[in-house]
Amino acid sequence: MAISAVCNLLLPTLMSNVLDKGVYGAAEADTFGYIFKTCAWMLGVSLLSLASVAGGYWVVYHVISGYTWSLRSALFRQVHHMTLAEVSRIGTSNLVTRSTHDVGTLNWVVSMLCGSIIIIPLTFLGGVFLCMRKDVRLSLIILCTVPLLLVVVFAMSKKIDKLWEISDDYCDKQNDLVRERLRGIRVIRAFDRERYAHSRITEATRVMADNIIRANVRMAIIDPMAAFVLNAAALVIVWLSGVRMERGSGLTPGDVFAIIQYVNIILGAIVSASFAIVMLPHVRVAARRLSQVTESTGLEDDKPAEGLRFNGAIDLEQVGYTYPSGGMPALSDLNLHIGAGEWISVIGGTGSGKTTLAELLLAFRRPSTGTLRFDGRDAASLSAADVRANVSVSMQKSMLYAGTVADNLRMGKPDATDDELWAALELAQIADFLREKPEGLNFKLEPAATNISGGQKQRLTIARAILKDAPIYIFDDSFSALDFLTEAKVRVAINRKLAGRTRIVITQRVVSAMHADRIFVLSDGALVGAGTHAELLEHCDIYREIYLSQTGGGAA
Amino acid sequence: MSAQTKNEAAKQGVKKEKRRLFDATGKRLVREIRPLRGWIAFSAFLCLILIGCAVAAPELLGGLVDKLYAWTKNKTPGLARSLLPGLGMLLGVYAVQAIVTYGNSYLLNNIVSRYFCAELRIRLSEKLRRLPVSYVDQTPAGDVIDRMMEDVGNMADSIYGIVEILLTGFLQMIVIAVILFATDWRMAIPVVLLSPLSVLLSAKMATLGEKHWDKHFNLGGELTALAEEAYTNYPATKAFNREAYLQEKYDELSLRHQRNGIFGNFLSSIVQPVIVFVDALAYIAVALLGGWLIVHRGLSIGTVVTVIFFARQLSAPLERIAFGLSFIQHVKSAAKRVFTLLDLPEEEDPTETAQAPTKGRVEFRNVDFSYDPKKPLIRNLSFSVHPGQKVAIVGPTGAGKTTIVNLLMRFYDIQKGQILIDGEDISKLSRADTRRRFAMVLQDTWLFKGTVAENVAYGSPEATREEIERACDLAYCDHFIRRLPQGYDSVISEDSTAVSSGQKQLLTIARALLADRSLLILDEATSNVDTRTELLIQKAMDRLMGGRTCFVIAHRLSTIVDADCILVIRDGQIVEQGTHRALLDRKGFYYELFNSQYKI
Repeated sequence: MAISAVCNLLLPTLMSNVLDKGVYGAAEADTFGYIFKTCAWMLGVSLLSLASVAGGYWVVYHVISGYTWSLRSALFRQVHHMTLAEVSRIGTSNLVTRSTHDVGTLNWVVSMLCGSIIIIPLTFLGGVFLCMRKDVRLSLIILCTVPLLLVVVFAMSKKIDKLWEISDDYCDKQNDLVRERLRGIRVIRAFDRERYAHSRITEATRVMADNIIRANVRMAIIDPMAAFVLNAAALVIVWLSGVRMERGSGLTPGDVFAIIQYVNIILGAIVSASFAIVMLPHVRVAARRLSQVTESTGLEDDKPAEGLRFNGAIDLEQVGYTYPSGGMPALSDLNLHIGAGEWISVIGGTGSGKTTLAELLLAFRRPSTGTLRFDGRDAASLSAADVRANVSVSMQKSMLYAGTVADNLRMGKPDATDDELWAALELAQIADFLREKPEGLNFKLEPAATNISGGQKQRLTIARAILKDAPIYIFDDSFSALDFLTEAKVRVAINRKLAGRTRIVITQRVVSAMHADRIFVLSDGALVGAGTHAELLEHCDIYREIYLSQTGGGAA
Repeated sequence: MSAQTKNEAAKQGVKKEKRRLFDATGKRLVREIRPLRGWIAFSAFLCLILIGCAVAAPELLGGLVDKLYAWTKNKTPGLARSLLPGLGMLLGVYAVQAIVTYGNSYLLNNIVSRYFCAELRIRLSEKLRRLPVSYVDQTPAGDVIDRMMEDVGNMADSIYGIVEILLTGFLQMIVIAVILFATDWRMAIPVVLLSPLSVLLSAKMATLGEKHWDKHFNLGGELTALAEEAYTNYPATKAFNREAYLQEKYDELSLRHQRNGIFGNFLSSIVQPVIVFVDALAYIAVALLGGWLIVHRGLSIGTVVTVIFFARQLSAPLERIAFGLSFIQHVKSAAKRVFTLLDLPEEEDPTETAQAPTKGRVEFRNVDFSYDPKKPLIRNLSFSVHPGQKVAIVGPTGAGKTTIVNLLMRFYDIQKGQILIDGEDISKLSRADTRRRFAMVLQDTWLFKGTVAENVAYGSPEATREEIERACDLAYCDHFIRRLPQGYDSVISEDSTAVSSGQKQLLTIARALLADRSLLILDEATSNVDTRTELLIQKAMDRLMGGRTCFVIAHRLSTIVDADCILVIRDGQIVEQGTHRALLDRKGFYYELFNSQYKI
């Protein structure tokens, strides 16, 4: 890089030599030989310049790219090292933006700037130095213009920054409006409000355009102004050199010519620099956003797994949990004792703490107060990996991965045979659906499994959970998208297959809960009832209320 | 094989090349830009001025240097003074150059952002109004947004492309070439011969780079998808100990992504140095030739200097053209996506007519419908509903319950048969006319970003505040709305946490109450709502249904035992029909469905 910058600087000197000594150097016999020699030099220098710049970029991009790769990898690892609380605090979409867009921006900007950071100052300083060598006083004129230009560039870049921010906001807003409109298309059309939805988008579009224009137009001042100022300086130099030549200084027209060339080079450097300066805030923003992830302190413990196998008894003693964001405890003073092999259901409405309970059992969160025990062992002393190896879960949000059905199912049991997969699918009442597909087990799921319905997704996650061999199974609201008939079939099948394992069914549907050995009723994070369906109907008001509201009492 | 056929083959090759650049998309792009031609012509005029300046400046500068050289020979006094007029003119030229450059970029920015991008986006938004619901159902929102925002933004480059390439680039190149020849044809030849070389080289590198960029971008998309999947599935990843596997997959993908990026970046960065290099070659050629000409043919030094300056000027338009050609490809792939959206078939619709008040009689006559022609869903469906009746539609998931709503509201059009409202075939009415008879409460509550009052009044924008409040009171919303920080003027949205999902449902009921339509569709869903709110929703829905013809999609059978008629749907067919009592007595599918709630 440096070599090429130097080479580019040498060219005008050689050129001016050609002019001065060669062309102008009158009719000496050797003139043409001199021109020839200098031109050969120029050719050599240009080649060297090209080669060195190519080599430089090659090396630089490899270095940057290696760095970006390891940054990306580290971010990805870090996210999986974070606790669930931290992941939800920062937000999935933010984390995705950090890992992709922000890293990308950083990579892009650094790639753009890497060349400039070496070349611009060198070119600039070299250009100034060479000018000085030709004539110090003339060169000072150029130097005078530089601070002036820099001030303008800085002032502009600040204002432009703000404008970009505003237009980014409007861009987000417009995205939201379009998304909202597409999602609500039925309601919008039902109420005949398409015109209104359209006008909202139109307005945001116009505002965005205004801001983009303002930012661009401000930026567009820099180039012509820099060009004008430096060209004007060059003119002053021409005039002054005329004056001084007349007075008999040693200045040659070739020198003047060279200085004008240098001015052009300096001009180029300043324009590139102004571009770089405008880019710098992007780096700052990206770096700040990335550090939110890399410097996160909400990490899971690194205790190594010991390969423990539980029997399936779970005890909660005075367990409470308060979210890091504060507020009311999500769970308080919970005492639950679940024997190995029991079929338990936990029922409660939104905000009752059901899901928090599941997250405690999966070691995604640790109790704020009290103790959680597996087989009498304090969970706090167990590694998260050990706990998770002993708990198989199917969640309300299906969480399937792009890829084949078989890949998804084998997550819990990598060595499962095709027969085992089919058996699990059969139990989850989804085998027929896949048998109809020509690809069978290799049926490919799109990202977020958008090519199958919500009910099908839930049944696949249920199959995945059943397939994993574990002493404890949690079904966290994982029947909500199934109709009652299908749910009943799944329930019967699961109970047959998993008899003797601890099963915890978390639900808000009374029909899903009522058949369990014991039912725990949660309300506002507290246990308000425990027992069989019949017992609860008699003694627990909240349970009775839920039951009546959902069934109308028709099934008593 | 004669030389002639070879020649023809070569010509065809050239034609093919042209066709590639100006294929259907290219032509369409030009057509889209046509309304702006006045502005673009003005911009071209400004560009001409700039070219004039670019030509005049070296000419004047060459003259000045000539004077300096002349002085070293004959030392006539008054050199400085004699330079002044030339200097003044140059200063003027520079000033004009600066002002016009600024003016032109002001103009271009306005053309591009305001008259092109914004207008195109508004047209796309207008297009959304007329697209069938089926398109929206099948297309991820992200894809439409991508087309409206990213792709339109990329298309905007086409204007810069046209101005830069066709106008400034080529014009400047031609003018400079002509002047070079006029100044000294002998020195012009090597310059003009060398310049296509740099264009060819840079174009070649651009296409080479393009391939890597394409791959880089595609892999980037995959990488984003993978990160998105991994992070959203965080609990599942952890619960099944899949971190290491995903990390490996991610790292591998990321490595390929970066590799392509290196090549792309490298090739892009090298274009400019290559042009500089070819430039230097031209420089050398001019110096050698010029030196020889000065010595042996007595050419003036100033002429050589002028040629050198022009030769330098030639590289700028060349860079531009090379750059422009390279991103024209980008622009075209973006434009194709935008045009596809703009050209989608629209819903045809008869004009709206004034309509008599609806009584509320609805009839399906031998209706056939399917989303996918290969999989027939609804076949020969017939039933009729009397004004004021409550009809419940029940059946397992995927049986076609929601489809009936889609057909009633004409979100989808039936393929055979008729749907009649008050004896009138709704396919003869405009869609808006049909929809205006219905109010709808869907399982998927939809609120837009706006105040509570605006959201409730969505179906009746002219409603007064009193009317809104009354509707909210009837729908059991009033009490919680008043507890919001700004009451009815609080801003809420889809993902706002200020109101619970049950409260959102109540707001949509208030919306339907206020709209006061004679037909009602309830996609009854209370799966995410706590028990007490659910009771309220139930009560509010009962209020809403009073006196209206209602279609209730029942998820919980307990709520529809009092329906006037229950349609039991299975695989798109009505398998049973009747009141709750009658259906239970038949001990058929409904009986099985109803009792499945209580099976172990």
